[in-house]
This record gives sequence, C-alpha cells and structure tokens, in this order.
Amino acid sequence: MRTKKRFLIGLVMVLALLFLASCSTPDTPTDGGDTAPTDSGEAPTEAEGPAETAKVVIFIGMGTGTDPDQIAAQEALADEFNSSNDHIEVEFLIVPHEEAGERFLAMVSGGNAPQLVGPNGTSTISQFLDTWMDVTPFIEAENTDMSDFYGPVLELNEFPGKNVGLPLGVYPSFVFYNKDLFDAAGLDYPTHDFSDTSWTIDALRDMAMKLTLDANGNDATSPDFDPANVVQWGYDDSWASGREFAAFWDGPNVGRPTTDDYKTADASSAEWVEGFQWLSDGIWTDYFIPDYVGQEAYYAVGGDPFGGGLVAMFHSHTWFFPEGLIDLPFEYDIAPVPYNHNGTRVATIHADSFTIPDAAANKDAAWEVMKWLTSPEHISDVCQIYGCLPARISVEDEFRGVLSTNWPALDLDVVFDSVEFLDNPQHESWVPEWGKIEDAVNFGLDQIYSGENKDAAAVLESVNTEVQKILDEYWADH
Amino acid sequence: MQNTRKKMLMTPAFKQRFISGIKAQELLIKLLTTIALATGAVIILTPLIFMISTSLKDRNQLRANPPPIIPWETVTAEVDGKLEPLYEVDIDGETRQLALIKNQPGGRGLFVDPAQPETVYELIIAEQTELRTVELHFENYPEAFTQVPFHLYLINTLIVTFVGMFGMLLSCTLVAYGFSRFKAPWLNVLFLVLLSTIMLPRQVTLIPLYVFFQKIRWIDTLLPLIVPNFFANAYDVFLLRQFFMTIPAELDDAAKIDGANPFQTLVYVLLPQARPALVAVGIFHFLYAWNDFYEPLIFLHSRENWTLAVGLQTFDALYSVNTHLIMAASVVMVLPPIVLFFFAQRVFTQGVVISGIKG
Amino acid sequence: MKRSTRTLSIQKREALWAYVFIAPWIVGFLIFTIGPMLASLYYSFTDYDIISAPVWKGLANYQKLLFNDPLFWHSLKVTIKFAAMALPLNLVIGFLIAVLLNQKVPGVNIWRTLYFLPSVIAGVAVALLWVRIFNARIGLINPILQEYFGVQNPPGWLQDPNWAVPALVIMSLWSVGGSMIIYLAGLQGVPTTLYEAAKIDGANTAQRFWNITIPMMTPVIFYNLVLGLIGAFNYFTEVYVATSGDGGPVRSTLFYNLYLYQNAFRFFEMGYASAMAWVLFVIVLIVTLLVFRSSPLWVFYEGELRK
Repeated sequence: MRTKKRFLIGLVMVLALLFLASCSTPDTPTDGGDTAPTDSGEAPTEAEGPAETAKVVIFIGMGTGTDPDQIAAQEALADEFNSSNDHIEVEFLIVPHEEAGERFLAMVSGGNAPQLVGPNGTSTISQFLDTWMDVTPFIEAENTDMSDFYGPVLELNEFPGKNVGLPLGVYPSFVFYNKDLFDAAGLDYPTHDFSDTSWTIDALRDMAMKLTLDANGNDATSPDFDPANVVQWGYDDSWASGREFAAFWDGPNVGRPTTDDYKTADASSAEWVEGFQWLSDGIWTDYFIPDYVGQEAYYAVGGDPFGGGLVAMFHSHTWFFPEGLIDLPFEYDIAPVPYNHNGTRVATIHADSFTIPDAAANKDAAWEVMKWLTSPEHISDVCQIYGCLPARISVEDEFRGVLSTNWPALDLDVVFDSVEFLDNPQHESWVPEWGKIEDAVNFGLDQIYSGENKDAAAVLESVNTEVQKILDEYWADH
Repeated sequence: MQNTRKKMLMTPAFKQRFISGIKAQELLIKLLTTIALATGAVIILTPLIFMISTSLKDRNQLRANPPPIIPWETVTAEVDGKLEPLYEVDIDGETRQLALIKNQPGGRGLFVDPAQPETVYELIIAEQTELRTVELHFENYPEAFTQVPFHLYLINTLIVTFVGMFGMLLSCTLVAYGFSRFKAPWLNVLFLVLLSTIMLPRQVTLIPLYVFFQKIRWIDTLLPLIVPNFFANAYDVFLLRQFFMTIPAELDDAAKIDGANPFQTLVYVLLPQARPALVAVGIFHFLYAWNDFYEPLIFLHSRENWTLAVGLQTFDALYSVNTHLIMAASVVMVLPPIVLFFFAQRVFTQGVVISGIKG
Repeated sequence: MKRSTRTLSIQKREALWAYVFIAPWIVGFLIFTIGPMLASLYYSFTDYDIISAPVWKGLANYQKLLFNDPLFWHSLKVTIKFAAMALPLNLVIGFLIAVLLNQKVPGVNIWRTLYFLPSVIAGVAVALLWVRIFNARIGLINPILQEYFGVQNPPGWLQDPNWAVPALVIMSLWSVGGSMIIYLAGLQGVPTTLYEAAKIDGANTAQRFWNITIPMMTPVIFYNLVLGLIGAFNYFTEVYVATSGDGGPVRSTLFYNLYLYQNAFRFFEMGYASAMAWVLFVIVLIVTLLVFRSSPLWVFYEGELRK
C-alpha cells in the first residue's frame, strides 16, 4: 500500500518533469517571436544549420531600448539585417534595465556572453571597461574610414588601452525653456546666439530668480517672497550627476575628478567649489533651484522636471526629446548652455556606442554588425530608435529633417552647434574604480540637494579625501 | 463555590438572562470589530483607489497639478491651428467659453472666442474657471496587454505557478512531517541548516547558480523556476512544521496502534487537520511565483519565456516610466490571486477543528 | 538483552523514517543550494570582479569590512533601525487584524480579501505607488496632514534623511495582509472546545484571549518572528525601487543588502560582497539561534505534550 503510493507519487513527479522538459522552449530562441508580424527571413537561415550562420546577440538594456515601442523598432531592424545577410543572424536580446547589469555579468560568467552590447553610454563603457574588446585591430586591418565621424566624438571612444567601438550617436546638451512661463513673467527668451557673451551663468541666475514664484505670485527677487511655498522654479539641473554638474565649470580636469595619470584626486578645485556653491546658493539662499522636497512637486505631476510646467529652464540632452517632449501643453524651445565664470562654455555631452564583450564568440560577426549599425545608410534609423544624433557628419542634413518633423518647435542649430562644446575629459569618462568614485562625487551633490551640508568647500573637501582614498587603494593593488 | 455557581446556571430564568447577556456581548464585539475593520479598510483602500485612478489616466493627466483622484482633462478648442484650453468666463454679465491663447505677466492672459478669434480679451486667469471633463482612459488596460505579448507571459506564469505549487506542496509536506514528528540524531542541526539557506542574500549566489544552470542547459527554459520547488523550501517547511507540531501527538499514537505506518499517519491523520496551513502555504507560493521577477529575469532570456512580472518591468524603462500602464497591468495582475484567495477562504472558515482529545 | 535490541531498532527505525521524509530537501540542497553557497564562501576570501578569475586574498575582505569600512556599520545601523521599527509593528498589527478577521461578522470574506489585497500587488507597482503617496508636496499623506491635522511642516518622507526609513516601515505595513493569513490559519486551528470550556468556567473575552488564543498562537508567532527577522535583515527590492538603488537621500536608506548589491554589481567587488553576505549570515544565524533557544520559555506546541 505504502510502496504503491510512493511509486505513484514518484511516477507523477517524473511525468511532470518530462512534460515540462518537452514543452519548455529550447535553448536557442528564434528571432522576434510573436510580436514581429513580418517574420519571414529566419527559416532559410536556420535550415542551413548553425555552422553556416554566425549568431549575433545584441544585448539591450544597459541603457535605453527597452521601451515597448523601441522593442518593436529593433525587431524590424533585425529583420532588415537578416534578410540582407546570409552569414549572420542578428537577434536583439531585451533585458529590463534594472537588472541588465547582473544578467550581463551572469552571461559572461556562464560562457554565453552576447556579441554586442548597447547602446552604451560612456558611463556603462567605463564601468565595465575590462569586459570590452579593443576594436583597434579590426580598424587597422580593414583601414576603416573614420573621417565621417565627428572628431571630438571619436576622442570619447578612446579609453586607456583600447578603442571600444565605432561611435553611434551623441546627445549634446542645452537649456530647455518654457516660453509660456517667460511670457507670463514678461521676460525675453534666452538668446540662441552662441557668440553672445552676455549669456552667462549669472544672467541665467537673474532670469531664473524672476521666474521663481511663490503661491502668491511673488518672484524670488521680491521682499515678500515666501520660500516655504514655492510653486514654480526658474532653473533645474537635477538629472546631472555630480561629475556632470561640475564639468560645466571647466576646472583643470573638466569632468574628471582626477589628474591625467589617475593618481591624484581633483574634486575640490576652485572651479568645482565655485560651482557647487553656486548650486547651494541657488537652492538655499536664492530659492530658484528646487531641493529634493521641491522636486517632489514636479515628479508628482510629470515624472520629469520640465513636462509639468513647473520649471522655467531645464538643462538636459537630446535623449530627453522622445521621452519628455511629448504633447506638452505649453510652448518651449532650447537655448545654448550659458558661459561659466571662466569665460568658457561647456555643454556636457553623452555619447553612445555599441561594444563587443571580450568573452563573446563570433567577434568577427559582431564587428560586421557593428559596422552595419553605424553605416551611413543605417545610422540614422538606429539613432531614431534611441533618440541620439548620429555621429556621422554626412547624415546631419538628413537627420535635421527627421528632427524638424518630430519636433518642429525646436531651434535645431542649437542642437548641432552644441556638439563642439562637449566636455573633455567627459564627465562619464573612465577613472579607476569608476563606480566608487561616481558614488563619492554624487554623495557630495546629495548633501547639497538635501541640505545636509550647504557649504560647498567643506563638502568637496571630504569628497576629495574619499576619492584620493579610493585611488590609493586601487594603485596599491595595480 | 463552584457548585453553587453551577446550580445557579441550572435555573431557566438565569439561563435565559445569561444567554441573552452573552448574545448582547457578542453583538457588541461584532459591532466594534466591524468598526475597527472599516477604519483600517479606509487606510488600506485609499492607496488602492489612487492606484486605479492612476491606471485610468493618460500621460497628460498624469501631469495634472495637484493629481486628482478622478481623472479629468481640460477641454480644448482649436484656435489658429493649435489646441488651447477653454475657460468659462464672465464678460459683461454674460457667461462665455473662451480659449486662453497666451500668458501675460501679472497672472493675466489673453482670451479669445474660438469662433471669433479677432476680439482679444485680457483677463486675470485665476478668476476664470477652467473647463474640465472627466476622461477615463480604459484603453490603458488593453494597451498595457497588447504592448507586450500578454498571452504568452500568462501561460508561462501559469505553468510556473501551478506546477511549482504542486511540487512545493508535495515536497514540503513530506519534509515538514519529517522535521516535526520524529526524533533522530542531527535532526535539529539539519533544521537549522534548512533555515540558514534563506539567510544568505541571494545576490551572491546568483551568479554561481546561473553558471550551474547554464552548464546543464536549463537557462532560458522554465525549469530553473519550477524544478527546485520539488525539493522543498525553508519557508513552507517551517510553516508546516509549526502547524504539525500543534496537532496533538496522541493522534499519531492512536493511528500507530491501529497499525498505520508513518506515511499513512501523515495522509490520514495530519493532513486533514492541517488544511488551513496547506491552503495558506499554497496561496503564498502562488503569490510568490506570480509576482517574482528577480530570478525569472536572470534565468529567462527570450521574451517568449518571460512571466507576467518580468513583462511588467519593461514599463519601467530607463527614460520612460509608463506609470499609467504599470498601474493598469498591476490591477489586472492582482485579480487571479484575489479570486483564488476569495474561494480558498472556504477552507479557512471550516473553523471547527475538534482536537478529539479530552482537554 | 532482547529488550535493549528491540528499543534500539525502534529508535533507529524512527530515525530512518525521519530521514526518508526529509530526503527530498536534502537532495535538493545538495544539487541546487550547497554549490552556490560554498562558491560564495570561497569568493569571500578573494578579489573577484566576476569577469576575470578570482584572486586569493585571505581574510583581507573581512578585515576591511569590520575595521576599515564606515559604510558597513552605517548600513547595518540603517537595517537594524528598520527592523526594530517594522518587526514589532508588523507582528502586533498583523496579529490584531487577524483576530478581528476571525470574528463572525457579516461579510468577513470581503473584509479578509480587502486586507489581503495589498500584499498581492507586484512589488514594483507597490513601490511606485507609495513613492507617489509619500510625495512631500502633493502626495496623499502630507495634504491630509496639513488640512485635517493642522501639521505645519509635514515631513519630507522619502526625501528627508530622518523620515525615509519610517516611510519604508509604513510602506511595509500596508502589506501586513500576508502575515495576517498565517495568523488566521493559526486562529482557525485553535479548537473551539477550549473556548467553550472556558466560557462555561466563566472566563470573559479578555481572559479567553489572553489564556487561550495567545498561547495557542505562539507557534505561529514564533514563525512570523523568525521569518520577519530574516526578512528585515534581507530587505532589498522595495528599497531598491523606492530609492532608485541609491540608498538616498545622503545614504539614509542604504540598507545592508543594498550596499552589498552596490559592491557586487556596481563596484565589481563580488568578493567583498560575498564577505558581506557571510557576515550577515552569521549575524542572522546567531539572532535566530537566540530566538530558538528562548522558544521553550514561551512557545507552546500542543503536539509536544507527550514529550
């Protein structure tokens, strides 16, 4: 009796396992699945057998690309490639952004690293620098023509010891401004003239203070201004990391908190202190920049600083277009980043590239796909998916057309002319222990925004000490 | 003393008053309970209403300031090819609907009648009433489930959840029985080892586990999510063990005397008594499997294999958080567990568990 | 002589049955669990950045952790602060609600479902919802505090270093329905004969509650306490979503597991993170052992009467 029951249970278990094993999807997933209606090109490629076609898995999720619209667009892109190429099969592997890093590392450890990863911002590339292969041998072997890429942008892909890939796109930055709020305040819009030297960070401050209103309609310059009841702010730059915010002030190492040799910390230069103090005063003395609690107001109503119409000027990049400039109920435009106190202009940039993990198989095929994605024929389509400006000079005109169709209100000259003012060393560029240093600098910014410590000199002093400690620990082992 | 009391209880009059006194007390308890529950329910419900309200808004309404409970939208009219918000305005004693076309300093604005855009009125905006309509965007629901291949995710989730539940109930019952009703050397140590398996944060075992599953080619299948359930887990074993230990041992002895082996004792004596615990454990597993996204996310590659919870994550992308879609999808995802729970309550209300032994 | 051999074999047989029944777990443990656990223990003695091979470092990670890392102590403090608030509240409130829901009031099924509902909602939605509710400017709580309770300066909740952890505690309380079910199952398991006998003996509601309900529920309370402890120390997902993985503001919500996660996947210090994991393991193990040791004093198992 007992044995029979046990046997039965065991049998059920085995059957269940068999059932599962048979109906679970196989290891090598097919391209696209249910959502791509035009699923034509795959069958013949598979019939040839895996030995004939090289599989290129493109890992999407470290940055943008996981939005449902983007997924569909990427699948269409994969179909286009696969139907034009018999030797390589491309598949986009979508990984939700929150866990993308872990999955990538797991895949590398597990021996099934993806062939391409992207689109990676400089931050991702820097953070995972040791995982990427150096594509210089490919470039040299084929004598790839790099002249069509923007010169300054090519420099951004030069990392210590390696060139990580062909540039895909750039995201220059500028100041978005809300025309309705300017109208209501009776102010002139910021100038779009890059040579106008009167457009300084001080001029921005003056403008912003007049655009900061409390619940009674008093602006921040008025003696009756009530800082406890601010309903509108003049300026916001809260989506900039600590290094990015500091880069604007053009210190000796611009966006990098270390010296050239990466051995000495440089996070408390006069420019950095000046910048952080400007921010602190802007939040806590002049009230035209929202602190963390103030930011809650616009996060509740828009999910971003600009869309809710509570901020008159917002510093951001082109990736904000597809996400934030949708059906806005007010009129807006963009202006160049103002001049800083050094008399220079630094418009921080973000740059994306695809990269090839060193641990991947089929690296030759990966290189082919990388070239295809960044080719003059396709770079525009790819960039439209991710919201970047193509890094190729030759497609600039065509892309202007695309941008003006989607965002007719914007002055596109501001977009393209801002590229040349990029920050170099870039604020996401490589430093040893990238994650730890990023954390340390952001902790400094954190203290200012939260009000824990409003003294920029003191804050950056401790940041500098921490960065130096991290560098010392790194160099002790290397 | 006690005898006197018992004698008093015997008289009919006293009995009647006693009983009605008890009934009154019971009624009072019920009333107080209901009031307490209702108060708590308000606290519980309010976020839920917020959630449903958000799920019915579109991106523009998410921007309304302050965010309303009932989703409204401003009524607009077309002036000069652009849509401008309509306000109800009092002009010369007459109420008209004018569109606000431009903001002016000092809280003023320029208003026009869309039908006669030549005449411009300058008025104080705050004194006018914005026209609003209630706009419920029920299309968020189908949209949330067509943007992702919902039917696939549902099937995957159902497989993982129910087969896993079956395996869990099977294995955990056996293991909990072993830990609760027997004496054996090292048993306590082993129980502690069992508990300790949930004390180590799973972030550090994730990669070795991934590598293991990769080696046996289970990555990108549903197997890593289902099979381990057939080998018991600490949470459910612990709970069932606690329950088994509340069942009087005399029942086991009685069964043994009747010639039952331990397995039969488990099935015929313990399990019927432990039904509320089994249901609870089943529900918990269902919930866990239904909502778990961390492990599926790491072990499942192709989107055809994803579960619902993983699919939900795609709405939380880097640059675009589709809050309204997340809420809509979450509302729907809540329904099956709730329906299950509602019907499982019948087991809870069995209630009268007679221990069968004289106190 | 004969007698002793018979007793031995009874004991042996009982032990054998025990092992047969727990065999499924042992097998699974050997296949799925022990490997990764030992691997992480090994990594804790190495410098391991996941992409290259681990480099042996002996006790260096542990030394740094305990003597040279202020964030270790800080994150431990944050976690303990959370546990000290959340655990008692969750236990007591869950228990009380279960008692209420155990009464035969009209529509009790609906009440139960309602209280259970929050614990069913997907974690990411819950976190997003509560981030909105706790919004210091236009959430749900502060306007109510200002309008109906006349609070002048309501706290900044998730944006205020002093109120962020309490906010997370409140968020965790909303899902108390999960543990409420366990209490309910336990309450349903208390034999009604006990209550009837007590009623006849003249015990009132409070006395019945204190002398019957609570003692009979101690096994379940014990369960919730142990798991609550383990859960509180391992608290991660909700914090991660609510603070975007930063532990802010100014590291006030840098829970132990969050700091561990940062070390593992942001700083590429998997060896160090593994050391953190094992230190946590030891701490939780000791605390759990203490609770277990104390259990004979206050936990009552009816099934153990004969022992």
